[in-house]
Amino acid sequence: MSTHRTLLAGLLILALGCSPLLAAETTAQAMPEYMGMLTHAISVETVQGKDQVPALARYFANKLEAAGFAKSDIETIPVGNTEALVVRYRGKGKGKPFIVHGHMDVVPANAEGWSDHEPFKMVKDGPYYYGRGVADMKDQTVALVETFMRLKREGFVPQRGIILALTGDEETDEFTAEEVAKRYHDAEFALDADGWSGEYDANLKPVLFGVVAAEKGYADFLITATSPGGHSSEPNPDNAIYKLSVAMQKIAAYKFPVKYNGITLASFKASSARMQGPLADALHRFAEHPGDAKAAAVISADPAYVGQIRTTCVATEFASGHARNALPEKATANVNCRIFPGGTVTAVQQQLQRAVADPSIKVSVQDPAPVLGPISYPVLPQVMTAVTQAVRQRFPGLEVIPVMIPASSDSRHFRNHGVPTYGVSPAFAKPGDVHAHGYNERILATELPASLDFWYELLPALARAK
Amino acid sequence: MPFARLLIAACLVLITAWMPPAHSETTTQRAMPETMAMLRYAIATQTVEGKDQVPAFAQYLAGKLESAGFAKSDIEIIPVEHTAALVVHYRGSDKNLKPILLSAHMDVVAANPADWQRDPFKLIEENGYLYGRGVADMKTNVIAIIETMMRFKREHYVPKRSMILVFSGDEETDMASTRELAKRYHDAEFLLNADAGGGTLSAQGKPVVYEIQAAEKTYADFKLTVTSAGGHSSEPDVPKNAIYRLARALDRVAAYQFPVQHSEITLASLKATGEHNTGPIAQAMRAFAANPNDAKAAAVLSADPAYVGQIRTTCVATMLDGGHALNALPQRADANVNCRIFPGTHIASIQATLTKAIDDPSVKITVRPPPPVESPASPLRKDVVDAVSAVVHQRYPGLDIVPGMSAGASDSMYFRNAGVPSYGVDPTFSKPNDTFAHGLNEKLLASNVPWALDFWQALLTKLSQ
Repeated sequence: MSTHRTLLAGLLILALGCSPLLAAETTAQAMPEYMGMLTHAISVETVQGKDQVPALARYFANKLEAAGFAKSDIETIPVGNTEALVVRYRGKGKGKPFIVHGHMDVVPANAEGWSDHEPFKMVKDGPYYYGRGVADMKDQTVALVETFMRLKREGFVPQRGIILALTGDEETDEFTAEEVAKRYHDAEFALDADGWSGEYDANLKPVLFGVVAAEKGYADFLITATSPGGHSSEPNPDNAIYKLSVAMQKIAAYKFPVKYNGITLASFKASSARMQGPLADALHRFAEHPGDAKAAAVISADPAYVGQIRTTCVATEFASGHARNALPEKATANVNCRIFPGGTVTAVQQQLQRAVADPSIKVSVQDPAPVLGPISYPVLPQVMTAVTQAVRQRFPGLEVIPVMIPASSDSRHFRNHGVPTYGVSPAFAKPGDVHAHGYNERILATELPASLDFWYELLPALARAK
Repeated sequence: MPFARLLIAACLVLITAWMPPAHSETTTQRAMPETMAMLRYAIATQTVEGKDQVPAFAQYLAGKLESAGFAKSDIEIIPVEHTAALVVHYRGSDKNLKPILLSAHMDVVAANPADWQRDPFKLIEENGYLYGRGVADMKTNVIAIIETMMRFKREHYVPKRSMILVFSGDEETDMASTRELAKRYHDAEFLLNADAGGGTLSAQGKPVVYEIQAAEKTYADFKLTVTSAGGHSSEPDVPKNAIYRLARALDRVAAYQFPVQHSEITLASLKATGEHNTGPIAQAMRAFAANPNDAKAAAVLSADPAYVGQIRTTCVATMLDGGHALNALPQRADANVNCRIFPGTHIASIQATLTKAIDDPSVKITVRPPPPVESPASPLRKDVVDAVSAVVHQRYPGLDIVPGMSAGASDSMYFRNAGVPSYGVDPTFSKPNDTFAHGLNEKLLASNVPWALDFWQALLTKLSQ
């Protein structure tokens, strides 16, 4: 049999694909191509310093061209040793396009720390695929490329144009996102595929899907105390380590003012309905009476939730001294802050300085200069509706709510250029299960076809609207 | 007294001070350019831990000694890991006499040029001071002793008693080279250490006292360690944070004072210093020397960094290290606490006291290697005291010469531990808190250099004849 017949069938599918109305590859049919591209993408070490992003961008560009995209609709934007890839899916309507973005780079991986698998080789083991970038976020980057190819091959013509933007240094400098946002901010909205939206419980039951509508601002502050130094046999009370120790205790005791916005209230309401116990009560009360001091105190005591109602700052590094037998001349600490949307770096710097209450201690902003962004709230109704529909195709009735995350992504560059941006990643995971940035990064195999389904549902739904 | 007259008096003192023994006056003047050139080279050689420059420096000194006439066989460089010790034999005519050991160290404490007002590794003369890492601790004496040996050799001086230079290469850090020296050269009459004792000037520059160091406190480093689970910095767990807990422990160490103690040596030292000074501290010294239970006097002395160590064990935080990433909660934070322990108190009791003061079982307190070395006080020898007094009195007639306990840890502790009575006889005179040894902008009064040459020549001549 039947090499011939398979070939014929393949040709038939290709022929059908050329005719827009007959369309429709199934996800199952798209999977081998997707998995082939993902396997290749994981093998390209797009870590900072290896300069492999342009090679991966070229690979995607060739695939997209082969699927029917015009060369003129594919653009690479080099920035330093990396680059961004921008692909335009032209719409026939007059409305502004929307952007869907992800990143091609990954954080470095030291092979020695990976238990059974090489980091740059995708391997299936049990229910998981392993490899650097399988979860953050080549799974979605390749899913977006695959979805663009599918739609193009089917002859899909959107009303609203779609701009696929793949950046090349999200894990480090974010220069490519800034460059893309500068050029393509005349857009209706943007979707960031690099979000942790879908959450499973320990039994793989879906808990919720978060539409990331805000992120906290990231800033590092250097706290510096100095003293004259000298011989340790003549201990002077003016000791940089002691002064810094006092400052650290004051920062530990200092609580930034309680804050909230529509996103945090909505997510508290949803979370409290799912949970039980004092924390659930506090979340509920806080959502009902924003700013309730007693509720805020309970929420603040939980490390996983305190960041939802306050700017948080915490000491992460501590260094001093040049010899065991010499008094310190300088002692420094790094204080890492997650700034509640609406706050500014300068204001936090002043709050820290006031908390320290010692003018001899210097509080300075660490390089690179932090970039904060506005929130994207309320979520545009057409986005909320389309995302909810796409999620519920897989998990009927699942709660879809706007959320604020403590981490930062490329999103804020688009938000800063006036584009409402929403983080929507279709891959669900149990908390702490993917090991993004760590050893043995992995993703549940079930999430790969589900991701293709999601984008194939969501992108046309949003692009059909006028 | 009118200011002008005071100034004249001060100048007279200085002129008198610089007047060396008549026969060697021209020699010292002639020796100065060579001495300053060697000192300039010495300061420029960064003999800090990690740069491994001590062997090269020892080689340089050996070359100078050879050029002055020392036999190659009388010079020995002992490599010890990344550093080295330098041993130089100046043979005496009487083989039955045990030798005198001359101890100094060639290494210096690290210095970060970015924090200094001047380049730390360049000898700079300004306003009557020498600046540079090591000018006070202790390359000026290293060079002065080497120059003295070269002068002796060129003058064909033959002592009765042998002298052996035992220069270490890691006094400021591990003291591994010192241990090696003490192991090889402990069959000696006594040791003179140029890195201890010395003269004190008043703030106005008047000589107050000259101390012969006869005892030292025990040096010990304790490591304070706190661990915590770590995690993402966006989810801060404040009470468990290792940095915060360590900060609280250090706050308690800062607030704790060890009990007041005294010995014959410290009482003699405080009495003499108190009698030659005025003001509340001097008064407290006199009061304490008269009655060591005087709590008020103890409180005044405790408030002065230069004297608190004379009446208590002291412990102070000197280093911090914690965290591994800007955006990750710390998994570990540790601090070094450096202690100077009053002779007679054991390490274990200090560790127990620190544990009690910190009062937090999550803070682990350990003694850092190498194991602390306790050293007995050295009995005062009349010949040494007389010789030192005579030489110091040539510069400052009638100045009080008193025994002293230093805060340690000098190379002497290993030699005392090995049975060699050791005396710290640093010729330099300094105002209290003026040299910034180990700190920023280390400096030394420039007038000390010609005086050190005179001192060593006169003292070693007396003691080796």
